[in-house]
Amino acid sequence: MKLYYFSEMPHHEFPDEEGDKYPSLRLELPNRFFDRDKAAANYRRYLDEYELADRVGFDGLMINEHHSTPSCVNVGANMTAAVLARTTRRAKLLLLGNILPIEDNPVRMAEQIAMADLISGGRVLSGFVRGVGVETWWSNANPVHNRERFEECHDLILKCWTAPGPFRWEGRHYHFRHVNPWCLPLQQPHPPIWVPGTASPETAVWAGRLGYTYVPFLVPFDIARELFEFYRRGAADAGRPVTPEQLGFLICAVTADTRAKALEAGRHFVWRMGPTLRGPAEFFSPPGMRSRAGTQFALKARPRSLATMSYEELVAEHFIIAGTPDEVADRFAHVQRELGIGHLLLEAQESRMDHATTMRSIELMGTKVIPAVAAL
Amino acid sequence: MNGVDVHAWVGGRGDPLLVLHGAGGNRGWTRWVERVAERYTVWAPTHPGFGGSGDADWMEGIDDLARFYLWFVDVARLGRPHVLGHSIGGWTAAEMAVMSPGALARLVLVAPAGLKPETGEILDVFYYSPARVRELTVHDPATVPEWDALFGGAPTSAELETAARNREMAARLTWKPYMHNPRLARFLPRVTNPALIVWGREDRIVPAVCGEQYRRLLPRATLTVLEACGHLPPIEQPDTFARLVLDFLEGRTG
Repeated sequence: MKLYYFSEMPHHEFPDEEGDKYPSLRLELPNRFFDRDKAAANYRRYLDEYELADRVGFDGLMINEHHSTPSCVNVGANMTAAVLARTTRRAKLLLLGNILPIEDNPVRMAEQIAMADLISGGRVLSGFVRGVGVETWWSNANPVHNRERFEECHDLILKCWTAPGPFRWEGRHYHFRHVNPWCLPLQQPHPPIWVPGTASPETAVWAGRLGYTYVPFLVPFDIARELFEFYRRGAADAGRPVTPEQLGFLICAVTADTRAKALEAGRHFVWRMGPTLRGPAEFFSPPGMRSRAGTQFALKARPRSLATMSYEELVAEHFIIAGTPDEVADRFAHVQRELGIGHLLLEAQESRMDHATTMRSIELMGTKVIPAVAAL
Repeated sequence: MNGVDVHAWVGGRGDPLLVLHGAGGNRGWTRWVERVAERYTVWAPTHPGFGGSGDADWMEGIDDLARFYLWFVDVARLGRPHVLGHSIGGWTAAEMAVMSPGALARLVLVAPAGLKPETGEILDVFYYSPARVRELTVHDPATVPEWDALFGGAPTSAELETAARNREMAARLTWKPYMHNPRLARFLPRVTNPALIVWGREDRIVPAVCGEQYRRLLPRATLTVLEACGHLPPIEQPDTFARLVLDFLEGRTG
């Protein structure tokens, strides 16, 4: 099983009691709480941590993107990919990912991902996501078009990478009369495509049909298994076999020299589960963004919001794994056995988890955990 | 209508009056409609994508809805009807008038969206919970005669599903530019039909200043502002509202 290091690049640099005054940290917490000096230092710190993860042997570095939220100030997945393409040597760069429905120019996106792939020597894994509702508000893209735009944007990016230009694109949401990108990915026919899932059965079926690597994020095991079933259904429709190589899972994880230290560090993930997901339903699911099936599945997938779970419960349910390297390797093996996955993505940083703790965790993962789970 | 089933409430006697509902959906045969239907044949269709009408996922904006209803006027053989529209229905009526002023008789625009307010903003109704939006829609529920009948009970699951579908279609039609057409003001002076604009002084959804803007832009418009009234004049003050409408349609005002 391959391990991926992921930092959301959070900006938890304001008093929590200030954050508590607003209906949500997303969209509503005024950006006067954005501390420019701390952000400048944090970006450099987060990149240092990514670079260590590359050196110690992580199979991949996962990069994401959000907007208008202190939970993730990585506002450009492709920008971070471009930096890491140059400063890392070995690990895959897993973009998970670019938010397609809010993108107005898929051609530029195709070019940017291609450029990161070229600079990195063909290490890009290109994830495509629908985004959470917050990104819809941020971009003002109509949520009722979310799925249509996701699929059409994807189709156009793929065409940019695989069809000889120049060509014309007249779709429902995208219109380009002269498409001829002078930047194509190093990997042929194109970088592998990954898709995350949190609740939408349609996305799982779609990813299965196209044979993309599919990664549920922070859901209970039984829900992940159910989503994998939808994935298999899509794959079967297209006559594709499914191997662990196509299945991944995302959790939060940290290790340390002692159990006590790891458990103390892991407590920082509770902020990500709770306060950063707090907010009105409309922020996360604006009208029409989810299909009826998606809405129903979401209710089932989250009988309890992560925000209402204690640290102990989050650990018991494997949303957070924290322990010595041996314990962590053992838990990772358990997740692998439960889900039959080939990729485990570790959200392994929180801004209040200090740099030294984060670096030590990355180092221990490299020296002890990665070798222990590599053969699984 | 070319593949889209249109549910409509129809009744009354007299010349046809086409009634176009707001984003909250078609509330049907309410008290003000009953009054007005004593003198006019009321046609109150449910917009495509709302309530009992069929889907129209291909629609992109209120201009599409306006073209749809101009066609509806032909298909239903309404001749040259009066048109009364509330909120996004008022905006739709204004767009219909701009496209084909000769096809319509008199216009009643009730707190219509459609213009960017010179001051203030149109409330982002999709950003807030339906419960919060309802609070902001009405000035004082205690004064609304039909409050219990319309909003009193806990909604059934079917009603919740309809409300979600209504919201989705409203979002489809009005998302960007939000609730207005930046070019509408350029065309309104074409509309020389007699027009009555009605607004609630306490409207917290579409600022009352938009009423002044419509009045300035429409050559034959009068504006009536109701005191102690929010965004739903026909529901909040049904008797006053029905009287205003009848006086105007019968040519006693405007």
